[in-house]
Amino acid sequence: MLVSLKWLKDYVDIDVTPQELADVLTMSGLEVEEIKTIEPEFSGVVVSRILSVKKHPAADKLSLCEVTDGERTYPIVCGAPNIKTGDIVPLAKVGAVIPGGYTIKSTLLRGEQSDGMLCSEAELEIGDDASGIMQLPRDWHPGTPLEAALSIGDTVLDISVTPNRSDCLSMIGVAREVAALTGKKVRLPSVRIKEASEDILSLSSVTIIDADLCPRYSARMIKNVKIADSPVWLKTRIEAAGMRAINNVVDVTNFVMLETGQPLHAFDFHFLEEGRIVVRRSEKGEVFVSLDGKSHVLPDDTTMICDGKKPVAIGGIMGGLNSEVKDDTTVIFLESAYFNPSAIRRSARRLGMPTDAAFRFERGIDPEGVLRSLDRAAQLIAELAGAQVCKNYLDEYPRKIKKTGSIPLRLDRLRSVIGAAIEPKETIRILKSLGMKVRSDGRGKYLVDPPSARVDIEREVDLIEEIVRLYGYDKVPPSLPAAAASEISAISRLELEEKIRCTFSGSGYSEIINYSFTSPASVDYLLLPGDDIRRNFVTIKNPLTEEQSVMRTTLAYGLLETLKKNINNSSFNLKIFEIGRSFINRGNNDELPEEKNILAGLLTGGVSEDLWGGKNAVDFYDLKGCLENVFYDLKIEHCLYEAEKTEPFLHPGRSCAVVHNGVTIGYLGEVHPDVLRKMDIKNTAYIFEINLDLLNEQVSRQIVYREISKFPAVVRDVAFVVSEDMEAGKMLEIVEGQTEELLENVVIFDIYAGKGLDAGTKSLGLRFSYKAPDRTLTDTEINSIHEKIVQNTIARTGAKIRA
Amino acid sequence: MIADIQQLEKDALAELENAGSQDALLAVKTKYLGRRGLLTGMLRNISQVPAEEKPLFGKRCNEVKVLLENKIEESLLRLSEGAKKQTLTREKIDVTLPGRGTRPGRIHPVTQIRREICDIFASFGFSVVEGPEVELDYYNFEALNMPPDHPARDMQDTFYIEEKTVLRTHTSPVQVRVMQQVKPPVRILSPGRVYRRDSDVSHTPMFHQIEGLLVDYDVSFADLKGILTAFLKRVFGDATTLRFRPSFFPFTEPSAEVDIRCVMCAGRGCRVCGHSGWLEILGSGMVDPTVFQNVGYDAEVYSGFAFGLGLERIAMLKYGISDIRLLFENDIRFLRQF
Repeated sequence: MLVSLKWLKDYVDIDVTPQELADVLTMSGLEVEEIKTIEPEFSGVVVSRILSVKKHPAADKLSLCEVTDGERTYPIVCGAPNIKTGDIVPLAKVGAVIPGGYTIKSTLLRGEQSDGMLCSEAELEIGDDASGIMQLPRDWHPGTPLEAALSIGDTVLDISVTPNRSDCLSMIGVAREVAALTGKKVRLPSVRIKEASEDILSLSSVTIIDADLCPRYSARMIKNVKIADSPVWLKTRIEAAGMRAINNVVDVTNFVMLETGQPLHAFDFHFLEEGRIVVRRSEKGEVFVSLDGKSHVLPDDTTMICDGKKPVAIGGIMGGLNSEVKDDTTVIFLESAYFNPSAIRRSARRLGMPTDAAFRFERGIDPEGVLRSLDRAAQLIAELAGAQVCKNYLDEYPRKIKKTGSIPLRLDRLRSVIGAAIEPKETIRILKSLGMKVRSDGRGKYLVDPPSARVDIEREVDLIEEIVRLYGYDKVPPSLPAAAASEISAISRLELEEKIRCTFSGSGYSEIINYSFTSPASVDYLLLPGDDIRRNFVTIKNPLTEEQSVMRTTLAYGLLETLKKNINNSSFNLKIFEIGRSFINRGNNDELPEEKNILAGLLTGGVSEDLWGGKNAVDFYDLKGCLENVFYDLKIEHCLYEAEKTEPFLHPGRSCAVVHNGVTIGYLGEVHPDVLRKMDIKNTAYIFEINLDLLNEQVSRQIVYREISKFPAVVRDVAFVVSEDMEAGKMLEIVEGQTEELLENVVIFDIYAGKGLDAGTKSLGLRFSYKAPDRTLTDTEINSIHEKIVQNTIARTGAKIRA
Repeated sequence: MIADIQQLEKDALAELENAGSQDALLAVKTKYLGRRGLLTGMLRNISQVPAEEKPLFGKRCNEVKVLLENKIEESLLRLSEGAKKQTLTREKIDVTLPGRGTRPGRIHPVTQIRREICDIFASFGFSVVEGPEVELDYYNFEALNMPPDHPARDMQDTFYIEEKTVLRTHTSPVQVRVMQQVKPPVRILSPGRVYRRDSDVSHTPMFHQIEGLLVDYDVSFADLKGILTAFLKRVFGDATTLRFRPSFFPFTEPSAEVDIRCVMCAGRGCRVCGHSGWLEILGSGMVDPTVFQNVGYDAEVYSGFAFGLGLERIAMLKYGISDIRLLFENDIRFLRQF
């Protein structure tokens, strides 16, 4: 809401600076976002009188004038046709600056001296009239600076009005607030209408068919209207509020809306067929052309203002092209109504027409202001358009507009909500300053009646807010509430996530955050088959772009996009991870989608950027190692990496599922070259995803100390020659599967294939470590156990011992 | 005979003096103190010393022996120290070469801010709770006192999934879900992603919020001020000036916007604070009785306050980031700075 201080001063005295006023308003809830200064587009222009006009001896279309500013007389050569002796006109003196930055100089025009310039409205950018010199009122004094005479120049506060304060969508509403805050009184404009003899009741009528949409509709008729430009004061007001001046009638309706908050509409009565108004619901598929020339298919339950035959306005939103006020309009049918706020909001949104009128109606206008505003506008139109207001007014009021009764206010409640005592006297003063009526029951309770414009005040807590708001939030002393134990327990997964962040960042991975929405094409890029669950998107009905139109079902695509972006920035070494949700549509509208907490990561480029000792490309095992570190940190043992279960978007020979206790918790692997090619990524990358909800279930938070053996371990190395297809994991599984108490662990210490071995075979070197908790093992003891394990392993794998 | 010893001592010391290496020293040692050494020989021949000189001769011999032994030991030590030193010098490396190994990665700035805020509120006894990001209209709006067609819905441009399902526009629905589950006292913090249909330098369609809620007997607006003041001073420093300003949220009343003195210009007015000298940091207010009614709390018995803040905004202020979109571009050159 743009509030001109000059205009505001019509309703309330202001004796503080604009900045001080802005601060006071901001600290009471009307946030002033900006203080704008409006300055004239010219300087050095004064009011002057023409003393004489003669023809220019050398030019037909020019005149020689003598013009006075009250002190001196200036010779001026002028080309305009509309000047005569005695006219009061704007004079731009030598040195004056007019719009466009032109400085007026003393000059010779066709041999005649000219010391200044007489100006048109257009030249001063005061109006559009360029046909002649601007004519000023006869009683204006020569010498007065024009900006002062025209009252140009203003300070405008841009106030952000919260949705509850519909009353402050008007100058009078803001004035009330200012008055309450600064201890002043509000001056309301006096409304007096001289009614003509002709009676509206005999000329027109209003029928409301759907009273739920329009509880009240009132109207006046104004005859002998002469449509013209508005006077400067009216234009200035409207333009200061950010609206465009159109003509005297339309400008008055806008002016009164800005003044009182009541939107009004003026119809050209001649275009109302049967001379009457019918208010009804829109019909299915009904089409209507609004006065901006746009055609609309009306949504259901839209309030339509109709004449005897057809719609003429979308109620509360915009008038129709078929009945708008035009230059030749002579009879005005002026509407002031109360429309159902919810209905207006619904229609305005569906139509995409957030008009000034709709904005006010949907927030709730002053139900008691309907007639006052009607009369105010009728009076102004009569004054400005030389017209007569017909006798009486129409007022269909079939449905009582809900009005809040007296609201009880308990002082002890006030104190307990605020946490500080505000004196009863101060409490009452504040309420009264806001125009509320206050009655006491003498026992710490009051009954309060808010003014009708404050439709937001219905409950005790609304009053409490008003009191503390005006009392000043800053005066409430801060205190700290006593802590009480709550039954809400911590979310274990979050603790897990923090540990994972530490492990990953410690391993060189940086955390990224991608948008949760993605492109529907993401699953195509990932080569997911038609029946893959990750094709069950949660789709956004009103996305910003196609690329952000569905919720992601996997974090993989986002990682690859991030990879691509970074490569484009020449960042080729990337270690990144993300923790976030994926969303799977359950295919069932009654249920919210499944939201899974996912950990995902990507690795590409060199092992380390800073390694001066050599630079190696990362591979599968770098990523796997980091993942294993996470599992180690969480004490998750015996994860299986199952190559047979993999993902369509991963290299089939370099990827696997991650399985723990029979539960697949994620995958890991090199990105499929086809995916990279499709996404136009030249660099190999490794990615993984782990479902944190599943991982969290696998984590045991119990730690049981095991005694450390004082006795040394005995180590035996064996190199098994096996088929090259034999997985190391399988081999270890077979060895470890032979439950032998003394075998402490087995690790792989060497892998070899090539010279000395048959083609199609490889050597897997295993290191067996034996240990007893209570004694040093003897060679004989170990040898027999070890031999048994080795022989068993050979038997079960067909391995040979490498010589 | 005594004189022989004196001479021997002198010769030995001179030779020791000249012995520059371990080998030379050991040679001297053998020459005098070895089994066939000169001093050993003298001692062996003590029988030939006249009886009256014997005690003195023996004493002197021993004195010289001890002296030589010590000297040799000392020199040997000195020599080996020197050799060690030489070795150490030879082993010198270039310490200015960068260290080997993996540089740690960075934690996303938004996560860092979230951790900081959650830690502070944990110290105030607040527990972290979560809720769905795809949320029912009921929890996102209706239960929070924003019925359909409420103008306050304009404050949050919404992504719709179905007519009654939205991407949550704030983390406030979690407070409703929690209050439906547990009885007061409640002290919760709900961090997470939220979504609004908006995209420019200061808005991304997804961002992060933290919502806090405290409900108990006798919680007042003064308590709201106390907790939030303590919190903001922990985040922005004890010297931070703040102000509480009336505002409007449908689910709180009275509501307050909390501003801090601009951290960029100390209140003089700059581009960051829009020349107002103040920065909006969080929204807050006393829980509206309607919300309590919706979750079955008795508003006459319990009271509480809620607050919410955007993590990106705090991160941008703390780190001087001017374009919010940078936070989600995941440019590694950006992320490495945090």
